[in-house]
Amino acid sequence: MIDKVFSLCMWAAATVVLCMFSWLIADVLIQGIPALSWEFLSSEPLRSGREGGVLPIIVSTALILVVALGVAVPLGLGGAIWLAEFANKESRLFSVIRMTLDMLAGVPSIVFGLFGYAFFCGFLQLGFSILSGGLTLACMILPILIRTTEAGLAMVPNDWRKAGAALGMRKTTLIIQVLIPYSAPAITAGLLLSIGRATAETAALIFTSGYVDRMPESLSDSGRALSVHIYDLSMNVVGGDKAAYGSALVLIIIVVQINFSANLLSEVWLEKKVARR
Amino acid sequence: MLQRSAMNVLSAVLLAVTLFSLSPTLWAQGNDDNRLVITGSSTVAPLMSEIAKRFERQHPGTRVDVQTGGSSRGIADARSGRADIGMASRAKKSSEFELLFHTVALDGIAIIVNKNNPLNTLTDEQIRLVFTGDIGNWKVLGGSDRAITVVNKAEGRSTLELFLQYMKLKNSEVAASIIIGDNQQGIKTVAGNEHAIGYVSIGAAEFEAGYGTPIKLLPMGGVAASVDSVKNRRFPLARPLNLVTKQDPVGLVKKFIAFAQSDSVHDLITDNYFVAIPAQTVAENGLGGGQAK
Repeated sequence: MIDKVFSLCMWAAATVVLCMFSWLIADVLIQGIPALSWEFLSSEPLRSGREGGVLPIIVSTALILVVALGVAVPLGLGGAIWLAEFANKESRLFSVIRMTLDMLAGVPSIVFGLFGYAFFCGFLQLGFSILSGGLTLACMILPILIRTTEAGLAMVPNDWRKAGAALGMRKTTLIIQVLIPYSAPAITAGLLLSIGRATAETAALIFTSGYVDRMPESLSDSGRALSVHIYDLSMNVVGGDKAAYGSALVLIIIVVQINFSANLLSEVWLEKKVARR
Repeated sequence: MLQRSAMNVLSAVLLAVTLFSLSPTLWAQGNDDNRLVITGSSTVAPLMSEIAKRFERQHPGTRVDVQTGGSSRGIADARSGRADIGMASRAKKSSEFELLFHTVALDGIAIIVNKNNPLNTLTDEQIRLVFTGDIGNWKVLGGSDRAITVVNKAEGRSTLELFLQYMKLKNSEVAASIIIGDNQQGIKTVAGNEHAIGYVSIGAAEFEAGYGTPIKLLPMGGVAASVDSVKNRRFPLARPLNLVTKQDPVGLVKKFIAFAQSDSVHDLITDNYFVAIPAQTVAENGLGGGQAK
């Protein structure tokens, strides 16, 4: 009896989650598809985005993401490897760093936005620019990236490290050839989480990469991200709802696309490594 | 041990290199004389972006970057010099005595009911009670014995903000029957429902009523709801959309403000459902306009 009730509850929970998700997707698809066209993807916004397209906004979004990942991935991998493989786990510094990372991962994005606005735009005088936005996002996703990578590395059985040492492998070789490939799925998951959070970000970007919907010419130009564009169209532009749905659909397609290719890449890479081993 | 300190040195060097490469000298902007940064009110930002694009087309080589973030930020950025021009969707406050406000357009809203509604006027207090749900039937106000359909705007719309501010209401206090997105939707709803009351941008309402849509614009405080009464600043449910500068504008800033106040951007202002002010009125009110009531 109790078993039945329990499994029923679990089924109900799963159904509710699924329904909510499909409702959301269906809503965006139904309202967004009529707005979507080749012209929408390939032209500049007109009349505050009510007409025209989103090309400069897609380009800005991509550039912001490239800057953010370009900075966060090396730093994140490095930080995680240090935490997992080099740091003395009993030391005070280690626990302080871990605690700081957990705290940073939970900080609301608007706080990162204000920090980016004060530090990158103001103190470093980068102004409203794709660079400021990307760097702010990098700060934001760094804690997630480090913690997931670290967790992945921690899953590697300790025997492997000992075996590596016994074989006389350099620590560097061990990390690059054994530990990182083994934890690739975890790293990919962290990367995808970060990308998701970065592309969904509005609050932090309004204050850093800005609102300008012109085609960016360099990283020091201000550029509007898709999330900011959607927010502006639905909140501030009278009659912008249709274009907002179109942009939301574009954003979803981009995120799904990145998800697929990242998963595929990590699988291919992992297979190669495993086969060689 | 030696290895660890070597790594510390290395990471310090890396950090220094990163910070240096980010430093202003390497990323300095080219010609600052041809570049304007405008920040502030999210209500004004879409309009100002369009004005900026037209300005850039007419003055090749210039760049006008419009940023958003709210009126308070526009004021703060104009004050600190982070922006050349701030945007504020409200009149000047007395604490902002040192700043100069340049009115570009006006934003007014009209309370609308169906044309077949027998009532021709409502007091502010009556409207307030209708929107809180304390008055739920037209009979109480002298109309027919029918329930009132309250049409409210979705969160975030500037008209909602202005309406709530004027009526001294919080959005949570409004007992809305229908929540709508834009002006067209509000006008259609009220035109199709004889018992509805709503509010929309005055420009859109007057335009539609003029084309025979069955809606009626209610006067506020004895002043007829029309674009004209907003223009000559007699209509109470209105606010100025301002550009804010710290000093008397010179050079490109002056050029841009003059352009934003000129007749050549009136189509853009109307397209965003705001009320354009004829250039000579701006001159009469002086450049520091916007000091309302």
